[in-house]
Amino acid sequence: MIALLVVLSVGKPIDFNTEIRPILSDRCFKCHGPDAKNRKRGLRLDTPEGLTKDIDGDHAVMAGDPDKSVLFQRVTTKDEDDRMPPADVGPALTPKQVDLLRRWIAEGAKWQGHWAFEPVRKNEPPAVDSWTRNGIDPFIYLRLKAEGLTPSAEADRVTLIRRVSLDLLGLPPTPQEVAAFVADKRANAYERLVDRLLTSPHHGERWGRHWLDLARYADSNGYSIDSPRRIWKYRDWVIDAINRDLPFDQFTVEQIAGDLLPGATLDQRIATGFHRNTMLNEEGGIDKEQFRIDAVADRVATTGSVFLGLTLGCARCHDHKFDPISQKEYFQFFAFFNDADEPTLEMGTPDEIKRFKTLKPKLDKMESDLNAYQRKWLKTLSGDEDKAVPTEIATITALGTNQRDDKQWKTLFDYLKPKGLEFPQRIKAIEEIRKQVPRYATTLIMEQRKEPRETHVHIGGDFTRPSDLVTPGVLQVMHKLPATPGRPTRLDLARWLVAADNSLLTRVTVNRVWQQYFGLGLVETESDFGTQGGVPSHPELLDWLANQLPARGWSMKALHRLIVTSATYRQASRQRPELDERDARNRLLGRQNRLRLEGEVIRDSALAVSGMLDRRVGGPSVFPPQPDGVFGFTQIPRVWNTSTGGDRHRRGLYTYIWRSAPHPSLLVFDSPDGQFTCTRRNRSTTPLQALTLLNDQAFVELAQGFARRVEKERASDRERIAWAFTLATGRAPQPAERERLERFLVQQRASFKQAAPAWAATTRVILNLDEFITRE
Amino acid sequence: MSQSQHRTRRHFFQSCGVGLGKMALAQLALEQGAQAAVAVTDPLTARPSHFPAKAKSVIFLFMAGGPSQLELFDFKPKLQSLNGQPVPESFMKGKRFAFMDTFTKDVPKLLGTKRTFARHGQTGTYVSDIFPHTAGVVDDLTFLNAVTTDVFNHAPAKLFCNTGSAQSGRPGMGAWVTYGIGSESRDLPGFVVLQSGPRGPRGGAPLWGSGFLPTAYQGVPFRNVGDPILDLASPPGMTPERQKQAIGAIGDLNGMRLEATGDPEIATRIAAYEMAYRMQSSAPELMDLGSESKATLDLYGPEVGKPSFARNCLLARRLVQRGVRFVQLYHTDWDHHGGPGQDLEHGFEKVCHQVDHPISGLVRDLKQSGLLESTLVVWGGEFGRTPMGEVRETTGRNHHIESATMWMAGAGVKRGVRHGVTDELGFAAAEGKVHMHDVQATILHLLGLDHRKLTFRFQGRDFRLTDVHGELIRPILA
Repeated sequence: MIALLVVLSVGKPIDFNTEIRPILSDRCFKCHGPDAKNRKRGLRLDTPEGLTKDIDGDHAVMAGDPDKSVLFQRVTTKDEDDRMPPADVGPALTPKQVDLLRRWIAEGAKWQGHWAFEPVRKNEPPAVDSWTRNGIDPFIYLRLKAEGLTPSAEADRVTLIRRVSLDLLGLPPTPQEVAAFVADKRANAYERLVDRLLTSPHHGERWGRHWLDLARYADSNGYSIDSPRRIWKYRDWVIDAINRDLPFDQFTVEQIAGDLLPGATLDQRIATGFHRNTMLNEEGGIDKEQFRIDAVADRVATTGSVFLGLTLGCARCHDHKFDPISQKEYFQFFAFFNDADEPTLEMGTPDEIKRFKTLKPKLDKMESDLNAYQRKWLKTLSGDEDKAVPTEIATITALGTNQRDDKQWKTLFDYLKPKGLEFPQRIKAIEEIRKQVPRYATTLIMEQRKEPRETHVHIGGDFTRPSDLVTPGVLQVMHKLPATPGRPTRLDLARWLVAADNSLLTRVTVNRVWQQYFGLGLVETESDFGTQGGVPSHPELLDWLANQLPARGWSMKALHRLIVTSATYRQASRQRPELDERDARNRLLGRQNRLRLEGEVIRDSALAVSGMLDRRVGGPSVFPPQPDGVFGFTQIPRVWNTSTGGDRHRRGLYTYIWRSAPHPSLLVFDSPDGQFTCTRRNRSTTPLQALTLLNDQAFVELAQGFARRVEKERASDRERIAWAFTLATGRAPQPAERERLERFLVQQRASFKQAAPAWAATTRVILNLDEFITRE
Repeated sequence: MSQSQHRTRRHFFQSCGVGLGKMALAQLALEQGAQAAVAVTDPLTARPSHFPAKAKSVIFLFMAGGPSQLELFDFKPKLQSLNGQPVPESFMKGKRFAFMDTFTKDVPKLLGTKRTFARHGQTGTYVSDIFPHTAGVVDDLTFLNAVTTDVFNHAPAKLFCNTGSAQSGRPGMGAWVTYGIGSESRDLPGFVVLQSGPRGPRGGAPLWGSGFLPTAYQGVPFRNVGDPILDLASPPGMTPERQKQAIGAIGDLNGMRLEATGDPEIATRIAAYEMAYRMQSSAPELMDLGSESKATLDLYGPEVGKPSFARNCLLARRLVQRGVRFVQLYHTDWDHHGGPGQDLEHGFEKVCHQVDHPISGLVRDLKQSGLLESTLVVWGGEFGRTPMGEVRETTGRNHHIESATMWMAGAGVKRGVRHGVTDELGFAAAEGKVHMHDVQATILHLLGLDHRKLTFRFQGRDFRLTDVHGELIRPILA
């Protein structure tokens, strides 16, 4: 992309931000940048003063005169000892880079602040008389035109409805919906479709899952012990907030500091679970403070990535090497989160909570007594705990009493029963108590401490080496924190994030939304808008979009509507040789991109087309079937009590996430494991994905259900094949495709000598098609 | 290695081995013009290294929990004579350990080993009596007796050793290697993980994850029970013949879609289905030890017939024989603090017996078959253990980051060398200190990779396995 920009700008003056800063940042800032401690020779090249500073009569840059600029001399010298960057740091600059530097200095060495820290431009779309449908399109069109390229035609209606349904709901359209849309001749048929989709409760699930990636949501504590946790109320809050189109500024404030809002509601406190999705190390022998601090550090890093597009975490151990963020500022930011406690919100009645607090310790005691009793007896029975007891029994006893499923209890019971011990009585007593323990929802939240913690700068990022005391504060390079009486709190931070003069929040947010619709953001490095990040492919469009967010009342639905109704989004995705040749990665968007669906959506789509999807929204996480042996590689084996009934067929985002062993069919399709914030998923293509779709019990069940549905709803082979294909892809098969499937069906019928398995084999093939797992 | 994080839409598929519909390919080439000479393969295709490699494959024998070097290889007579004495204050000043609250409540006391040590082989290397089989191959091993690391809790320390960082989210070593040079195997994953012992290693999947690299490079765990790979077996009723027919139909239909859309990612998917089909027969073939002679099986000791470290060692040989690039074995339960089952007598003996015979068998087998010429074997854990005892129900040793023993054997390393010495108590390196990042740099080097050049740009920074550290351990290079 850089190369492309350079080609474009031949003859134009050099642009510092797109052409020079990337060179300086990548090749020089590490030793001559913001990090004061490691700065070599006192020379810094990341500020205009530093570049032109007089050092013993020399100047790194002498505007207008490359030959008198030491910077230029040192990057071009033939003397290996003098050459910059030094050989052990990296190779010499390329001739192209040298030429750019020369021309930039010759043209007067004009400086610009880093684009992302500059205010968002208030611009209007340029006037274009063709192709465009809304404000997005002129920017895209003119950029293509400048390259001598043209946009692609609009995708056909079937592709459009499938694309926009998958993008907005994560579910494919039904054939009836497709037919209705194709037949709708009104001029605004597509816009009406979009409006309908945006009111669906499944929209919150689809975009909620995108947000949960950022929030590093999971249902367990992480690290090696990885105990279960309950925080699904936060997940449901996200879904609901998106469905009611909670304005994004408020959405941000509630998650960062909902507890501090005047008269905070229950919902607003639940929202603070965003920063309770950090991991918790329960390993023996650890220093708990160390891992508490790691969790606070994760809150800083996540806030940086998600709301600012800055790699704040880099400044934990030293001043940032590339961006103007000092280590002290890092710990000022850290102090906001360090002033919080991490309680559990108990959503029971006072009486329930009281009874829970009496009964639960009693139950825990009885269970641990039972465990001790059981260990003692096993030892007595076998002489050695590990040796003589059958492996099956040893495996069960290794589990905690609350981790065993019914079958395991029975096995253990049957083994111990003949020994005539008091197991039955004890277990019965435990069950009695367990029934009395009140059940109510709990969730993890943030809460401001009455007395703030002292926060120090940690030398080298090591919490055992505290140095200067700091108070909560923000980054100097950005806008100021609104004046507040007393010590600033997370609420001040939250309001600072959504302040009108924040040049990053809106850009980062619209860019990430854009990325979901096109595969790549306008800024490709979606979590790094710093000097090492990418340059926007369409800077004016990025700013125009960023302005739309507050201008449209921070409505995310308005932003979605704007993007998906643009001509840019509606283009066909078919590859065009002349485009690919000029723009191999399609950064200029002369067409749409084909995007492989996420793991959850692949599952959801298979559930939907087979007619088995349970569409209930929200609730505790569920346990759909997974292959045996998933926990064979975790420190503590977990019980996966496979859900029955409707919960077996819920959407993928409700699947219980064990951080140490996430559901394999999600993981194999690049779903994140919730360890850290994930601002973009990979889209890989691997043989293991093929094995999952072909052989996994869950998908086999769906193929069978799909076959039953097709057999029931259509009569002839030909109709059934066409129907199955249409359900899965939205379109009727081409003759060659239909014939190939018919041939396969005949082959399978001959092989199985029965209809049902032959049909299931055929629907299985359809669920494995690339097109089925791709948004086109 | 300036491979972009997102593979470009146009992939450069170089090798074949896959039967993508020729028609579709020709059609694509026709449409895209001559410059798009598309040949098809997957991201694991073998690629040239930075410089000629000494090793083609790596087998990493990871003793999860932190094996006690003082009971195995690092013989310290002085420690014996000072048994029971408080550790000199100078050793403890400013140091942090796991279990800080109890461990340093009173001044910890030095603990002499109860093992007896003797010299073995022509090199006269000290090995304790608990490793009689390993002692028999000691001349083929190169010892690193003064290995240090940065972190002293299990999960972060394992991450540090396996991924170069104590934070999760970085690629495992095998992922870096397959990202760098792919794999020679066309039928099996390039990075395979095998596990034995009572549980999985602390730290779990992030140890062999692909981090920010494409998932194609993540380690694939082969399981001990049931199918070695999740979902490897076709569903009930789906015979190999029927499976082949299904994959044929899927491939043909995908080929038609490739024609209609021109998206080369579909070609990758077709290749992935064909590889999956080959894995369905090659993985069970791998696990079937029927073709191994009794003599070979005997090399690995009596436990080779059941799920065990012994069987995993034999599987490791079979994997590298089939061109798999990186095989990571974990054997768990090496955390001998002195708690129940964690003592330095019974508990320690148990795990030692589980690995000793198989390790010698693996080295001998690789040597006999000539594979040791192209395979690097690495042995070690996430950290070493303290010369001070830790008193719980019985006596054990605490985690220790300042001294550990590791060894390497095979391709590109000298044989029978001892590098590094600890002080007379075995507390810290006296000379020849190497850091975990140095070990990582050296492993990459033997595979023909420069650890400073094997980078991946993520969030604006060029990441690498060794972060900004790592020096080659030159004295051990052959």
